[in-house]
Amino acid sequence: MNCATNNPAAKRFLRRIVITILLYALSLVLAVGVFLRFHPTGVLAWLLAILPAISITGLLAIFGLYLAEEKDEFQRSIGVQSMLWGIGGTLAVTNIWGFLESFVHITHLNPVLDSAIFWIFVGISLPVLLARYR
Amino acid sequence: MKNRLRVLRAERGWSQADLAQRLEVSRQSVNAIETGKFDPSLPLAFKLAHLFNSTIEAIFSDEP
Repeated sequence: MNCATNNPAAKRFLRRIVITILLYALSLVLAVGVFLRFHPTGVLAWLLAILPAISITGLLAIFGLYLAEEKDEFQRSIGVQSMLWGIGGTLAVTNIWGFLESFVHITHLNPVLDSAIFWIFVGISLPVLLARYR
Repeated sequence: MKNRLRVLRAERGWSQADLAQRLEVSRQSVNAIETGKFDPSLPLAFKLAHLFNSTIEAIFSDEP
């Protein structure tokens, strides 16, 4: 994925990512604020709790949309490869962490962080993969 | 896969960016194909062949 060019798919991807991250921040602030002040229960509590997760899940859909819209097959293959690095990296880290939790009793890793780990691996692998073809 | 893209491009005095613009792909794509690190799909190979008024087998070869 090369966002420095006039690639319309990459531009749309960036715009959607920025909007979704803003929505995530807003939904997180809203959920935390409502839980701290009003201590909601029942369906409202469930809905508020999953509100920030919707945006985070949306990031995956946005990446999928980019892959569907990208006309440059080479850039598309780089995107797919970076997603594979993200999936593999996340599975490796959480697997290792899980065994460490079981046997060495290290701090519990909140599954909410899985998405962050995934995007860190995607973010690191993208420039590394692109550098191979410069 | 080996190819003659660099030669064909040089004959026309095109830079990688020029060819990328004509193919509607990124410059990195052209570089990746030219250096044999990325094999283009059949539609892109046909597009290249048409652009150079040639055939796919005249541009690409499966020799190691």
